[in-house]
Amino acid sequence: MAVSPLVPYPSGALPSRPGTSPLKLQASANASLNGTPLLARPAGHEIQGLMSLDLVEQMNEEEKRKYVKGKKLGEGTYANVYLGHSRQDPAVLVAIKKIKVQKEYKDGLAPDAVRELKHLQELHHSNIISLLSVFSSKDQNLNLVLEYLPLGDLEMLIRDVDRVRYGAADIKAWMGMLTRAVWFCHDNYVLHRDIKPNNLLIAADGEVKLADFGLARGFADPGRKMTANVITRWYRPPELLFGARHYSGAVDVWSVGLVFAELIIRAPFLPGNSEVEQIALICRQIGTPTEENWPGVTQLKEYTVPSDTVAVWGKDAYMGRFGAVGAEGVDLLIKTLVLNPKKRITAREMLEHKWWRTDPKPTRKEELPRKSSGADEKMGSDLKRRPGMLDDETNPRGAKVARKLDFGAAK
Amino acid sequence: MLRKAPVGARGMAPGTASGAALPLTTDDMCPVCKTIRYLNKDMEFLINPECYHSMCSNCVNRLFNDGPNQCPYAGCNRTLRRKGFRSAFFGDLTVEREVDIRRRVAAVFNQAEDDFETLRDYNNYLQMVEDLTFDLVSGAEGKRPAAEAQLQQWEAEHKADIERNRKAGREADEQARRRLTAEREAARQRRIEAIKEAEDEKLERARSREAELDTLAQAPEGQRVQLKRRGQTNRAGGATASAVETTVNTAIAAADVGRLSIRGLKEKRKAPAPEGPYDPFGGSDFVPSRYKVGEGLAHPQVEKYRFDQQHITGGYSFDDYTARAMFEAFAGLGVFIEDEKEVGIGMSAGQVATIGAGIAAVGDRMELD
Ligand SMILES: Nc1ncnc2c1ncn2[C@@H]1O[C@H](COP(=O)(O)OP(=O)(O)OP(=O)(O)O)[C@@H](O)[C@H]1O
Ligand SMILES: [Mg+2]
Ligand SMILES: [Zn+2]
Ligand SMILES: [Zn+2]
Repeated sequence: MAVSPLVPYPSGALPSRPGTSPLKLQASANASLNGTPLLARPAGHEIQGLMSLDLVEQMNEEEKRKYVKGKKLGEGTYANVYLGHSRQDPAVLVAIKKIKVQKEYKDGLAPDAVRELKHLQELHHSNIISLLSVFSSKDQNLNLVLEYLPLGDLEMLIRDVDRVRYGAADIKAWMGMLTRAVWFCHDNYVLHRDIKPNNLLIAADGEVKLADFGLARGFADPGRKMTANVITRWYRPPELLFGARHYSGAVDVWSVGLVFAELIIRAPFLPGNSEVEQIALICRQIGTPTEENWPGVTQLKEYTVPSDTVAVWGKDAYMGRFGAVGAEGVDLLIKTLVLNPKKRITAREMLEHKWWRTDPKPTRKEELPRKSSGADEKMGSDLKRRPGMLDDETNPRGAKVARKLDFGAAK
Repeated sequence: MLRKAPVGARGMAPGTASGAALPLTTDDMCPVCKTIRYLNKDMEFLINPECYHSMCSNCVNRLFNDGPNQCPYAGCNRTLRRKGFRSAFFGDLTVEREVDIRRRVAAVFNQAEDDFETLRDYNNYLQMVEDLTFDLVSGAEGKRPAAEAQLQQWEAEHKADIERNRKAGREADEQARRRLTAEREAARQRRIEAIKEAEDEKLERARSREAELDTLAQAPEGQRVQLKRRGQTNRAGGATASAVETTVNTAIAAADVGRLSIRGLKEKRKAPAPEGPYDPFGGSDFVPSRYKVGEGLAHPQVEKYRFDQQHITGGYSFDDYTARAMFEAFAGLGVFIEDEKEVGIGMSAGQVATIGAGIAAVGDRMELD
């Protein structure tokens, strides 16, 4: 069989639901409001079959010419990301995500790119990164043009303990934006499957945006197996660690809970070095999954837990460590970290929780703390790191240690 | 416009009165040979940590390739070697020098927190190291040599400790590097599995469709109509006149929906209730969007999984499924789109262009509205 990533062809024809519905791409295609000639720009792929190849190429060129690529912003697993700007108006900045060529997929485009493309194109929400355009470059590389989010990501804020201070109102604002993003994905039947602080990018006005849809997929039909190997380990829920193949949005909710915990303690809450360690950490810090608290769990394929069963921790245990967000905040946190995915709170229910309406009120996005700016930024984060220490935050005394400049690691 | 850069005027060796007054890079001209960068775009400036006097790489090669030589800066008597030169990491050579000093100090004072009885002891140690560093970097005439002596003394006295800590540091480095590589590989693996997941799904969907068609072919009269309609839509992929019609109608239908939601977006943006209560849903209408589906609507293909332990334990949500199914059904176009969506392997450049233009069109309109 040939390589055939299924990711269904993105279809603009999928109808929208009023209210929460994303706006659909081809909506504007032929229906022009201001009298521009129809058919100037075909939009559905249905039309594509009728177009000459020349026209297609011309359109691609047109999209490509709209942007000028600049310096490299970052590198991910399957893409390099560059800064870019609009040729017409250089003040308009964009991020151009150029998908790395994958030998295995010479014929088609890299499937994770298609995945990202498909989902981003359908999800329009202020807390989800928006896709502005897409074009292929001469080497058949796919380029996604995304809105440029210049203020880094949540991970940078969490880790910069020395220079970034924030409080309960800020955490509530960030969590609100994250939860809305996830709720919107789920409401549109999309699982993100890679929620973590560094996939939460920050726009110039402080708005947090969920990015990196390279592992996303639509909700599966009953009986259809999904892969259990998704979500970065520290944020992976117990059902996936135990090898469940039929899961739901609850997997993302667990990740959201761990981002919440991390925002509070400013260190990853469950930083397992391996899958086994991850499960052990969950058992120790949250409680051991058993038939009592999660019927059927022992039948999951990869179910193994440390022999010393730990009872699920109650609210008091959490208050000590996470009390900064108040009793209601802790209540919400606990509900996201329920072992049994069937009992775990949903994204929608999260938004209905009392915490949002209790004091303090979430900080307005424009007033949220930002990453410290300046050229020393990269250096700064390197300096804070002791050689070989990935996360000195795991050190309980870490935060209290006087700043130690360490130039051994720089350069 | 070109500033005169008198050789030696700005340069002072670190030992001299004020270590802070170090030579600054003249971005535009080599102070030794006066070559202007403008004329030679690739010109590279190098420094030697002996005295931090910068010069272009041509000068360095010319002067030091045949062995040690004196620094060409007037008044600087340092003997420099070719292999001591490197390009400056920082634009400001004062910073460059400080970094070098700090690196040297850090290599000697490399105690870790664990080496101390209390956090207080550790902080005192850090304070002491910082004071010493300050003296080395910008201490007055008398302080600098004293600090230098202190550094050397500590190095001599704690040789074994330093070596042990360095080894530990390197091991930790190595471990961290290995962990990072493993993380990367795991991330790559996840992507690959997600791809495989998609491929399997496509295969299976194709198979079940075939099975479905078979059943329909053997079905009684009434149901055969459905088969025929499917056939027609498939043909619509060609360039027949009716296909164009279908396409345009679909597009217009979708456009209507799209336009509605664009308007909706606008309105919400217009009314950003400045000091109202916080809305966790962020202004989106809070319509319970899940269709509550009664038992009656069950489909046997679905029912057989409802009590499947693997689905229950994994947290699979049948409510989500029925909601989605209803949504797609009410949306009316579901079936046909499903057929057309899976055009095949990946995507062609043409398809990308089409989507690109589509997105751009939506974007334009959003601005227009
Ligand atoms: N819109 C954007 N604006 C600014 N920077 C961005 C943007 N998108 C991505 N980046 C930068 O590029 C980096 C890689 O992007 P991204 O996470 O999307 O790639 P990826 O291949 O999916 O990565 P991974 O799966 O390893 O996290 C990010 O960490 C970020 O620094
Ligand atoms: Mg990422
Ligand atoms: Zn020169
Ligand atoms: Zn000199």
